[in-house]
Amino acid sequence: MPVKVMFVQLASCWGCHQSLLDLHETLADVLPQLEIVFWHTVVDHKLHDVEKLPDKSVNVGFTEGFCRTEEDLHLLKLARQKCKLLVSYGTCSTYGSIPSLLNLYPIEEALSRKFKEAESVVDGRIPDKHVPKMLEYVKPNREYVNYDLFLPGCPPEPPLIAEVVTSLLKGEMPKLKERTLCDECPRVKSEVIVIKKIKRDFEGIPEPEKCLLEQGYICMGPATREGCGAVCPSAGFPCKGCMGPGPNVMDQGAKMLSALASIVDYESISPEELVNAVKDVVGTFSRFTLPSSIIPKAVFKKK
Amino acid sequence: MAGNFEPKILGIFCNWCSYAGADMAGTSRMQYPPNVRIIRVLCSGRVDPQFVLKALELGADGVLVAGCHHGDCHYVKGNYRAERRIALLKRMLQQLSIEPERLMLKWISASEGAELVQTVEEFVNILKELGPSPLRKTG
Ligand code: SF4
Ligand code: SF4
Ligand code: SF4
Ligand code: FES
Repeated sequence: MPVKVMFVQLASCWGCHQSLLDLHETLADVLPQLEIVFWHTVVDHKLHDVEKLPDKSVNVGFTEGFCRTEEDLHLLKLARQKCKLLVSYGTCSTYGSIPSLLNLYPIEEALSRKFKEAESVVDGRIPDKHVPKMLEYVKPNREYVNYDLFLPGCPPEPPLIAEVVTSLLKGEMPKLKERTLCDECPRVKSEVIVIKKIKRDFEGIPEPEKCLLEQGYICMGPATREGCGAVCPSAGFPCKGCMGPGPNVMDQGAKMLSALASIVDYESISPEELVNAVKDVVGTFSRFTLPSSIIPKAVFKKK
Repeated sequence: MAGNFEPKILGIFCNWCSYAGADMAGTSRMQYPPNVRIIRVLCSGRVDPQFVLKALELGADGVLVAGCHHGDCHYVKGNYRAERRIALLKRMLQQLSIEPERLMLKWISASEGAELVQTVEEFVNILKELGPSPLRKTG
């Protein structure tokens, strides 16, 4: 009997679903075992199709994205209601990811920027008809509904997806690895790290085998969870932290900020120089997790 | 409200210096504002930025981190770490539209009871000027 699944897209970029398609041949094995009851970006289903489904009649639901509008929230709650097992698919759904850095601005300001002030806009106005109401800021989906499994990644890497989908099809709960990214990173690390200069990602050419953080690049490995196969540092690019916080980390940004401050050489880099080298502290360290951070949004002054 | 606002301050003090300094202020019967609740840590370098954020999230109006003067840290470089963490945290707070002045870092030795009193008084004044933390759940 095919497994009933639904794929739900909330506010997102479709990158996670794209990554699903990157399974290539594996998909050929998986697809015949699935009955897709809802995937509104791919198959012509309407919202009322989901509303009509009996509760808990879908075996597995995957949610991509976070709730930015009341409609997203409605869909998320429906998904929870209709699915036996709900998987938070990707980092938007799990922690908020990059688009939720908008939590640094009040929604009115963001709407005005996009629809009225953007350089390309002529006689702009903020759409108010036939569009769902915007939510004030982004909260992690898990604050609205319970999940059975979190599969982070922006987007999740295909091997990780394959692992999860294969176990689920066997009726088993996947057990994801949860150490720190550095533990699965093949780069060579020293016992003691001292950085004399912080480099921007584009500065110089990194040595091929040595840990990037030791070379002065801001690599989020120490604050990030493993599971992606350390694809970025393996390819010579510092990790940006898209798998979210590592084990026992409450706040990924605070953790990385702390780690970096303890490995810079105090004689070479003053506190001011450190701040100037990082510049955008929230955008660098909490790039993927602002809504799940201890302080999840900026304070919006009431006008 | 603003007139009788008494800020709530979390003090995170290093055991070897500022905490001893607070003890000294106490035993010498120096008066200082009762606004600060003190947590003792083994070194200012042990102050996890997550503690500071959590304190603010729970509604503290200010956080005062105090440690040994440069050169006096028992773990040699702990205070240098603290200094850099606090600098980055201040920028983080600023981006979150929380006044960075709500976070203060001071070096106070075990013999500087008077400096400690003065620091707390100064911090209380700064916070009274700023008003209650925007993260306070209730007035
Ligand atoms: S997690 Fe990343 S890839 Fe997935 S929807 Fe969000 S932004 Fe796109
Ligand atoms: S800091 Fe980055 S490069 Fe270094 S070991 Fe960790 S993940 Fe690899
Ligand atoms: S290395 Fe870092 S940024 Fe790259 S995929 Fe893994 S967690 Fe994401
Ligand atoms: S021991 Fe006091 S700051 Fe390190």
